[in-house]
Amino acid sequence: MAAAASARWLRIRCRLCLPLKSRRADPCEQAPSCRFYSESAALPNVEGADVTGIEEVIIPKRKTWDKVAVLQALASTVNRDTTAAPYAFQDDPYLIPASSLESRSFLLAKKSGENAAKFIINSHPKYFQKDIAEPHIPCLMPEYFEPQIEDISEAALKERIKLRKVKASVDMFDQLLQAGTTVSLETTNGLLDLLCYYGDQEPSADYHFQQREQSEESEEATEENNEKSRKKAGPQLGVTWRAKNNAERIFALMPEKNAHSYCTMIRGMVKHRAPVQALNLYTELLNNRLRADVYTFNAVIEAKALMVNEKFEEKWNNILELLKQMVAQKVKPNLQTFNTILKCLRRFYAFGRLPALQTLREMKAIGIEPSLATYHYIIQLFYQQESSAKGSPLIIYDIMNEVMGKKFSPKDPDDDAFFQSAMRVCSSLRDLELAYQVHGLLNTGDNWKFIGPDNRRNFYYSRFFSLLCLMEQIDVTLKWYKDLIPSVFFPHSQTLIDLLQALDVANRLELIPQIWKDSKEYGHTYRSDLKEEILMLMARDQHPPELQVAFADCAADIKSTYENQDARQTVPDWPANPLNYIIVLFLRAGRTQEAWKMLELFRKHNKIPRNELLNEFMDSAKASSSPDQAMEVVKLASAFSLPICESLTRRVMADFAVSQEQKEALGNLTALTSDSDSDSDSDISEGK
Amino acid sequence: MKTSKSVWFFSLMHLSRTQNNIQRYFGTNSVIYNKKDEQSVPTHEISKETESQDSVKENTKKDLLNIIKGMKVELSTVNVQTTKPPNRRQLRSLEATVGRLQRAPEDAPKKRSESLSPELVAAASAVADSLPFDKQTTKSELLRQLRQHEEDSRAQKEGERPKISFSNIISDMKVAKSATARVSTRPVHQIQFDEGSDDYGGQEKTADLRKSLRKNIFKGKRLNIFDLKAVTEEAPEAETAPSLWDVEFAKQLAAVNEQPFQNGFEEMIQWTKEGKLWEFPINNEAGFDDDGSEFYEHVFLDKYLEDFPKQGPIRHFMELVTCGLSKNPYLSVKQKVEHIEWFKNYFNEKRDILKDSNIHFN
Repeated sequence: MAAAASARWLRIRCRLCLPLKSRRADPCEQAPSCRFYSESAALPNVEGADVTGIEEVIIPKRKTWDKVAVLQALASTVNRDTTAAPYAFQDDPYLIPASSLESRSFLLAKKSGENAAKFIINSHPKYFQKDIAEPHIPCLMPEYFEPQIEDISEAALKERIKLRKVKASVDMFDQLLQAGTTVSLETTNGLLDLLCYYGDQEPSADYHFQQREQSEESEEATEENNEKSRKKAGPQLGVTWRAKNNAERIFALMPEKNAHSYCTMIRGMVKHRAPVQALNLYTELLNNRLRADVYTFNAVIEAKALMVNEKFEEKWNNILELLKQMVAQKVKPNLQTFNTILKCLRRFYAFGRLPALQTLREMKAIGIEPSLATYHYIIQLFYQQESSAKGSPLIIYDIMNEVMGKKFSPKDPDDDAFFQSAMRVCSSLRDLELAYQVHGLLNTGDNWKFIGPDNRRNFYYSRFFSLLCLMEQIDVTLKWYKDLIPSVFFPHSQTLIDLLQALDVANRLELIPQIWKDSKEYGHTYRSDLKEEILMLMARDQHPPELQVAFADCAADIKSTYENQDARQTVPDWPANPLNYIIVLFLRAGRTQEAWKMLELFRKHNKIPRNELLNEFMDSAKASSSPDQAMEVVKLASAFSLPICESLTRRVMADFAVSQEQKEALGNLTALTSDSDSDSDSDISEGK
Repeated sequence: MKTSKSVWFFSLMHLSRTQNNIQRYFGTNSVIYNKKDEQSVPTHEISKETESQDSVKENTKKDLLNIIKGMKVELSTVNVQTTKPPNRRQLRSLEATVGRLQRAPEDAPKKRSESLSPELVAAASAVADSLPFDKQTTKSELLRQLRQHEEDSRAQKEGERPKISFSNIISDMKVAKSATARVSTRPVHQIQFDEGSDDYGGQEKTADLRKSLRKNIFKGKRLNIFDLKAVTEEAPEAETAPSLWDVEFAKQLAAVNEQPFQNGFEEMIQWTKEGKLWEFPINNEAGFDDDGSEFYEHVFLDKYLEDFPKQGPIRHFMELVTCGLSKNPYLSVKQKVEHIEWFKNYFNEKRDILKDSNIHFN
């Protein structure tokens, strides 16, 4: 009976295909179990055939599921919506960001709101005691950051260390010492850990938001993101190791020291840029016949490379020496060991290349799988300053062959820099095929998570898209444009200019008004280089009438941005080129009135119209057969003392029915121009 | 003169750019180029032009060098006014040209180097038309340039001058990022000849490096310090509590692939992990926590009936009891066992009465 029930349970719950062992093993089963048999006939047919034989019972392995397995399965069904902003930005429609600057402030605002709430709750825990959640949710309750143990004891010291109160811990330690209590070695080591990690400074209380240390970021600052303040480097970056600080004092006070005490001191010194002291302490450690752990070796390797006034060769030999010591002390190297070496070799420029390759091979040979950061360092070493030095262009291909199709998991804090540097190389090699490979790798498994923070993502995609604009067929480029923007990144104005140039090359200028609309949306309304490029492309050639109308609308829109800008800046300024282009576009679309109105702006802002523009005006005057307008053009030309004045006059005489007065006026104008011709040469060249 | 040379470069690139998109592949990838070469007719026509350009290039390496040097000068003057669209356009195509030259296959098809083909002349004039400069001059300059190349190549064919390796010349050239370029222009716009930092390690080292690179980067000499066996063998690791360093390193690693949520489910996953959200049921044991006991411990209670008679009314009764218990989700395993124990004790106490009724209980 029990078996029957349990079997049913099994079948329903676990889809266990229970082989029909019990059928023969227990023939005297009671009546109710018959139901069980009949039901079990519905089990897979494999058993149905040979009921009589006694087969091996294969019990399937039990599957254990993560508690979020269902959610994960559901999440995997959701694809990126190419028409929408990323999920993280979906909020009140008014707040959805449309440019990279906005998106950044959106994220910062969201995070700082969370942090502010947490700060208030944690600093006033007594007001937040009501437990509203049922069942209880611990993470919503205030955390206690203030030490609870008041008396002076080792327990109190431990608590302060756990809460990472640097100063309070040191005070407690001193009080304990004064009271004559000996603190255990373990606790003292814990205190040293704290002091060394934070360099004897109170850790910043910014709730772990973007606290990641980015030591060598500056060299990667690119034109893409130098406008963003790079304040991400945590406050610890500025902390340097001060001689005779609390860590050193406590270390000196310790009656007995073990390897851990030395190791943590060395690591702290290296972390806070005191390589000389670190190396001295390392010697001391060796003299005391203690053994350093692998992390300390990694730190010492870094210290050797940080040493100033040493030749690259010397430094490299020192590093090799350290590695030999590791072997002698039977310390197993880890991924960080090799990554540290490669990271340091980057500063050796061309000298570092051969050692770097040897290091990489050593890694492979002893079975340590390189992480993305490893390749990142190699790429940086071989493609410094975007150069294509001898032979090195092959490196990236080898690397890509190696990593293609692999799925990575985070192993090094620099793992997220790989895709950016790989794409940088693709872009400097102008190799689209390679860029597709890199992008393919990015979209393998969960690798996309390694694209790094916002600025890296933007850099990566801008480079990728610029390369597409440069090399890919326009239809494919536009497909990528629709796919990537805005759901993956917001384009930089240079990205849009690249796209415009690609459109120009492919003769698809009819898309320009659309691109302008997009640019406005992505916050480039006031980018004059972008606007000028758009206007230039639209005004350069003649187009069919419908297109000219669309272009003129677009030009009018751009014109309004210039006017609005004036209101913003209070200093009205109309650059000459856009003015020329806009008027030409108006003329070609037959919006003569507006064009004439705009012509006034030349005089107002003291800018010089181009010859082509004046000719266009003459054409339009001729089309409407209005000698007055033609006269206006000539007047304008003479007002700027342009050499074209003469030929314009001739055209007016020839093409229009001019009255006597007008003829005289023309004569005067021409005389005026030829007089001042000599001293207006500089203006002419500028006007061109 | 210099202007005309770079214009010539520019014009050929420009031509290929405007006429056919596929042609743009040519600039970068030799493999694709070869493929395209054998393809359709219109493509072929255009590639002929570039081919003839190629052959000219092949034979007039010295001239090319001159031109490239000229380009450098040209560039430095151009750089000042990058905002002017035509100049930038030129620059861009120049870049492309440089890129192509760098990667140009050395075994480029050596086909025709006879006289100037009519296509080439047509192309030159087309280019001249598309330029904002004086058209006639440009055209004649272009043609003169081409003709001169042709003559040179013929002369070289006869004389078999000592070959100057094209790749050597080009390989010394690099597109470098200048520190000041960041502000206004894209750094790749600048071309310079630089042999400085690269030759740091001296000739010997470079040769070594090159040998090292020729093969796969993963195959070759290694440091030979560590031994595979020593590294892989299991050393007894002292079990210690993770130090602050370990904790912080783990945090750093976790932050490496931290990305904003891609969809609502991911956010729910995060909330579940933080304990803010009720766990989504993944089986019938959701929210069922009985000190980690598994379902079979709840269900298979027969093993507790060992001490009971193998048959008879007590056995029957007890089986019904265990059956009922196995279906009961409200009791813990311990309570179920206690329940059975209770019956065992009960029957033990009533042994006398049972004996009277002719029922044996052990």
